[in-house]
Amino acid sequence: MAALEVEGLTKDYGEVLANDDVTFAVEEGEVFGYLGPNGAGKTTTIRTMMGFQSPTSGGGTVLGHDVTDEADLIAAKRRIGYLPANPAFDEGVTGREILNLHASIKGDERRAELLETFDPPIDRKVRDYSTGNVQKLGLVQAFMHDPDLVVMDEPTAGLDPLMQRAFNDFVEAEKERGLTVFLSSHVLSEVRRVCDRVGIIRQGRLVTTERIEDLLHRTGKFVRVRVAGEVGAAAFDLDGVHDVSCSTTDGRQGDDASGADDTAEADDPPDGETVGRPDAVDPRRVDGPVTECTFTFTGDVNELIAALGERRVLDLDIEEAPLEEVFMRFYGGTDA
Amino acid sequence: MLELARYEGRHRIRGAAAATAALSGFALLYIFVYPTFAESLGVDIDRLLEAYPDALSKAFGVQSLATIEGYLASELYTFGWLLIVGIYFAYAGASLIAADVERERMDMLLSLPVSRARVVLEAFASLAVPLVALSTAVPVVVVVATEVVGYPVPAVDVAAIHLLSVPYLTTCAGIGLVASVVFDRAGIAQRAAAGVLVGLFFAESLVTDTDFEAVGVVSPTRYLDPNAVLRESEYALGDAAVLVVATLALVAVAVAIFRRKDIE
Repeated sequence: MAALEVEGLTKDYGEVLANDDVTFAVEEGEVFGYLGPNGAGKTTTIRTMMGFQSPTSGGGTVLGHDVTDEADLIAAKRRIGYLPANPAFDEGVTGREILNLHASIKGDERRAELLETFDPPIDRKVRDYSTGNVQKLGLVQAFMHDPDLVVMDEPTAGLDPLMQRAFNDFVEAEKERGLTVFLSSHVLSEVRRVCDRVGIIRQGRLVTTERIEDLLHRTGKFVRVRVAGEVGAAAFDLDGVHDVSCSTTDGRQGDDASGADDTAEADDPPDGETVGRPDAVDPRRVDGPVTECTFTFTGDVNELIAALGERRVLDLDIEEAPLEEVFMRFYGGTDA
Repeated sequence: MLELARYEGRHRIRGAAAATAALSGFALLYIFVYPTFAESLGVDIDRLLEAYPDALSKAFGVQSLATIEGYLASELYTFGWLLIVGIYFAYAGASLIAADVERERMDMLLSLPVSRARVVLEAFASLAVPLVALSTAVPVVVVVATEVVGYPVPAVDVAAIHLLSVPYLTTCAGIGLVASVVFDRAGIAQRAAAGVLVGLFFAESLVTDTDFEAVGVVSPTRYLDPNAVLRESEYALGDAAVLVVATLALVAVAVAIFRRKDIE
């Protein structure tokens, strides 16, 4: 039996068709990532599956219970943990009071252990919480009754990188214990480590479901590089480079990389000629033009490094391709 | 059961205490002013009434100021209780569901294994805190204070007006509750509920003795008459029953609407 099954789910808000015949299933014990750009319809699917709104047509089950039948769904909710996209709690009460309320209704056998992992300031009022602390409180309440299925909408949003790692470690450990997780994200890199499988939704339609390895193999990296000199797009003509876009600026105008240094040099005479100073010790500084290029790269990283090695590289960013780019590349960017 | 009601009720204690203090102060003010008022005007006191516009006298139930019962019935109970406390409960009812929806807390609440009917009913039940606080403290204040100023009012009648006003106030809260499930913003729900209540209050008093008297039948104020209770010791239990039924009907409507609603 699938832990969560979405069957022909359609939700029409009138001006927007937020979900259009969405069908997929999350198997028991699986960590399933529901990916898509902002506004793609992820939250609509999740909130419909939690019974907060009714589908225009279609439906689904969670832990075998019909999401359109309130009484049936309540039985399932005892074994479901939920974290909304923007968890919100009563502002005037402490985290402890909120957890006590949740505990009185659904139980809290794992509360102490979870508070050690996430550690929100539970004796402070929620009003004084940072976004990250609200998220931590949300995570504690989502897991504290030891659910069989946890549904999380953008769980890593609002967590700092350290907490993000802690969250990933935690989800991996939960997966070992047999927990089923259904989580959404618009940032692939934040959830790629924990997901077994992903479903990708765009403009209300499920584009694909596939194993995470297969997807990562196809998505590539987003590269942004600044090199000395005037360089054309042709300089990056190697396998796996797509959509190169370059722009050259006069290096002396400087930019954010050197701007901070300039302001620090308060003893410079006003309108002083700084270019002539012997500041070549700063490798980010260069006389003459600087070219910044961006492109998507799906090839062998070693080849890219070799190609860049021929030039004076001032700055280099390589990151997971944004999902929008992935869509443009693999699923056709223009059709709706 | 009742975990939600207990939780929400706990957080109403401060507000209820403040409202009770304010209403008690209001009652004390009226009662302590009365001896000066009565003695300076003496037997001419009701001639003052003749100077009142007729509609105003009717709206605020001013029938006689010659006795403290008539004075309290109009000034404290018709104006202070039926209108002000009525609006307070309409407001409180209106913020119950709408505030949680507006602040995006409703998703979290509904992720718990609780039915929507239970969410509505327990939220409504939490209003028992201000209701009980006001309905027990204020009558004691009124009875003691009228004794102190030398114009005692029978305690039984004071207890009766407060007891009979309970279904009146739950009806007001019920109007608010319906507004709170219809509107997604607490501010709008509150204004709608208060507007409806004030509208009904004046509609009822304005149509009295006119061809449109039947219109007043939907106004909760039609079913509670402080003058009859305090001046004549007449307790209209049938009218109170109407208010009880109205409360139940409003709550049932609110539950039905909320069960079918998409939480935005």
